[in-house]
Amino acid sequence: MGSKNKVRKEILMGNQALGRGLVENGVAVMTAYPGTPSSEILPSVVQYGAEMQSQPYCEWSVNEKVAVEVALSAAYTGQRSAVAMKMVGLNVALDPVMSSAYIGVIGGMILISADDPGPHSSQTEQDSRLLAHFAKLPVLDPDSPAMARDLVGPAFALSERFQIPVMIRPTLRVCHGRQNLNLRTPKELERVPGFPRDPFRWAAIPKMRLALHHALNAKLAKIQDYLSKSKSLNQWHAPLRPRAPLGILASGVSAALARDLLAEMGLPVGEGKVPFLQTAAPYPLPIGPVSELIAGCRNVLVLEETEPVLELLAPNRDKLWGRGSGHVPSAGELTPEVLGGVLERALGEAKLKAARPKGKVLSVPDQPPMRRPNLCPGCSHRAVFYSLRRALPTGVYPSDIGCYTLGMNQGAVDTCHDMGAAVTFASALSRGLNQADKDTPVVATIGDSTFFHSGITGLVNAVYNGHRFVLVILDNETTSMTGMQPTPESGLTADGHPGNAVDIKKLVEGCGVRWITELDPYQMGDLQKTLKKAWRWCKGPEGSVAVIIARHACAAQRPRDAVASPCKVEVKGQAAPVKTSFRPQDNPCADCGRCVAVCPAGALTRTGKGKIKVDEAKCTGCRLCAEVCPTGTMVLEPAGACVACGLCSTWFACPALAKDAEGYISIDRGWCVDCGLCAEVCAHGAIAPLEESK
Amino acid sequence: MSRLEWQAVVAGVGGQGVLFVSRALSTAVEPKAGSILISEVHGMAQRGGAVVSHLKAGPFSGPLVSPGQADLLLALDPGEAVRNLSYLVEGGWLVVNAPDLDFLSPKARKALASFGARVLTVPAVQLAGQAGARKGANVVLLGAAAAGGALPVSMAELEAAICDGQPRARAEANRKLLALGAEAAAQV
Repeated sequence: MGSKNKVRKEILMGNQALGRGLVENGVAVMTAYPGTPSSEILPSVVQYGAEMQSQPYCEWSVNEKVAVEVALSAAYTGQRSAVAMKMVGLNVALDPVMSSAYIGVIGGMILISADDPGPHSSQTEQDSRLLAHFAKLPVLDPDSPAMARDLVGPAFALSERFQIPVMIRPTLRVCHGRQNLNLRTPKELERVPGFPRDPFRWAAIPKMRLALHHALNAKLAKIQDYLSKSKSLNQWHAPLRPRAPLGILASGVSAALARDLLAEMGLPVGEGKVPFLQTAAPYPLPIGPVSELIAGCRNVLVLEETEPVLELLAPNRDKLWGRGSGHVPSAGELTPEVLGGVLERALGEAKLKAARPKGKVLSVPDQPPMRRPNLCPGCSHRAVFYSLRRALPTGVYPSDIGCYTLGMNQGAVDTCHDMGAAVTFASALSRGLNQADKDTPVVATIGDSTFFHSGITGLVNAVYNGHRFVLVILDNETTSMTGMQPTPESGLTADGHPGNAVDIKKLVEGCGVRWITELDPYQMGDLQKTLKKAWRWCKGPEGSVAVIIARHACAAQRPRDAVASPCKVEVKGQAAPVKTSFRPQDNPCADCGRCVAVCPAGALTRTGKGKIKVDEAKCTGCRLCAEVCPTGTMVLEPAGACVACGLCSTWFACPALAKDAEGYISIDRGWCVDCGLCAEVCAHGAIAPLEESK
Repeated sequence: MSRLEWQAVVAGVGGQGVLFVSRALSTAVEPKAGSILISEVHGMAQRGGAVVSHLKAGPFSGPLVSPGQADLLLALDPGEAVRNLSYLVEGGWLVVNAPDLDFLSPKARKALASFGARVLTVPAVQLAGQAGARKGANVVLLGAAAAGGALPVSMAELEAAICDGQPRARAEANRKLLALGAEAAAQV
């Protein structure tokens, strides 16, 4: 035992701390679907679980609904289980979550839903605590990595005592905060899983559900009483004083930041000028201490992220200063900048003088422009988006959640809604846009992990209902944006053991798709031809959904594999721009409109049948029109050098293509990975390999 | 002995090693501060976007630094230095990966000087490149910060935080990069 009990102190990320807490408290089954800011929780359970004799079973489930159902049924057998996701994943899982409070559990179950106030990498700022309230599940709200770890034990205890799943809701600053903490010994619970058959509970019919709802309400009243009495979950950082002009009720990271800010303003909570209650249990609200605070103060400032949960559940709401009264902004993260202003205003209105003004803040003129996130250099998705715009420039491009959302930088992403919506949006967009015999190519893009998550159901729906669009599955064999978690296709499980690989092509075939091509998007010529062919088939008499599986290793995960034919590229010297001319006298115009559609500068307009107007002021001489012109009506002199047309920097958008003030391109060797793709992109041949590839 | 109270902001662009720097700093100052809080950014912003990490060492409870409170702004990118200058406390340190302060407008330079900021400019990318490890610019900058007196820990303590427990080749490479930074700081 000796060495096992030695205190180990480590600086842990909040997600690692949660994983550590789960292992320290004997979790036996852990499931998750990756999503920032939650992705590191499950790998931490794998890592720390190795210290246990009976290592917990861990799985990356294909989506959050599946993950919740696996963890829930594991808890039916008396084991401790946990499931982790980001808050938009909770929406995917909401169906089983809603029932879980009614039916309950036997072994403790923790549902971790990580929120992203800000939102730093999410579609919404939604507050999972509201969904916990909606689903009638108790929720705990940690303010730091240490508190997140420390809440796991009480959460399991609460869950088992009342036989109900308990949610822990960390926010981004907890998940991706780091803090030093003492590691405790992992607990081995000697529980033999068993399933007590009880169909009236586990398979409850509607009539039973009504009875269960009554029972749940009674249970929640008991939980509220239990939480009210908990000293550890309700901390008085400064005690109640008689006739206090202002009190603070806070939860989560806002509580932690407010304590620091008050100290910076010369009113440290330790001196007790402002009664300060922090509750870690927003629902069911610990009514005892909260009522006491509100009754004892003239006004109470409520600090929480992102929605008013404490504020709406608290009694005597006319005394509260928060989102309802306009004291706290109702969108965005409560950063120190924002929270500082909120506190200053509240202290001022309560006639409480901050002992000294906050320190001086340097105001800096001439802020640099915002930096846009970008696809990695060498990323094969970039080749897909570029090819898409080349091959089907008049198209509409629904896309999805993941790295490929960054195809927006290349003008090749028109919609991004929720996991799987690329496929379903493409269904209705193609139907709507092409109802009146119009020819608008609809090309959807989706990644492999997202396809497994919820693209498949949309595809089945599209095939069944005869929708016509091209679906490109961007298959880089991993879940890149969230940190390279394996997908079912890789056949690797969460702990690195081999599972069974699931073949995307066979899956697509099984969905009933009749037109499928697999290719390497680095072959941009082939890809462009295939895209055109696929769309022609879609709109043909027998057409339906066409699927292209574009497969190339992730440039961030396996950089060497990602680069197919390494070659150094260079940009040839600058030439005077060459202007376009339209010469129907030499070759008659086919009136196909391709030149107008591809022109990146918007310099071309149709002015009648077989007539194109070239706006010389806008034309950059990029040659794209001449390249796509089938009859040779568009004419451009060869340039052979960079003319600053901007095609590569906008349509291809590689961060290694540096642009000077006049728009001329050079290669930034700090970013370039020598993938050689941009040499294919330049319409002038100005970007060219320095030497033949090996 | 009174505990250390120290706040830092580390800023840069995805791929430059901002997170490595903040973890190295926290490992180095943790024994003196007793308690450490860091806030970092993951996910989308890592792909070439701005990355900033806040570090608070000492008896703090919140993970984010307030404007006007950072004892150190360590910037791996000049543009990101500008974006985060407002976090500096009066008389605080700016350590930046740039040959000089020309990336600031004359107005901004004047404001910075009147704020009493202590400044260390280091051409870290060039120096790391000369050592054959372009990606090691972050460690060069750390070396300069330690040698220039911008950190509450010594070069030896920083070196231990970065190199201890590392494979020998990597530890050696990092020692060399730290020394390059120290040399650059001595010349400023």
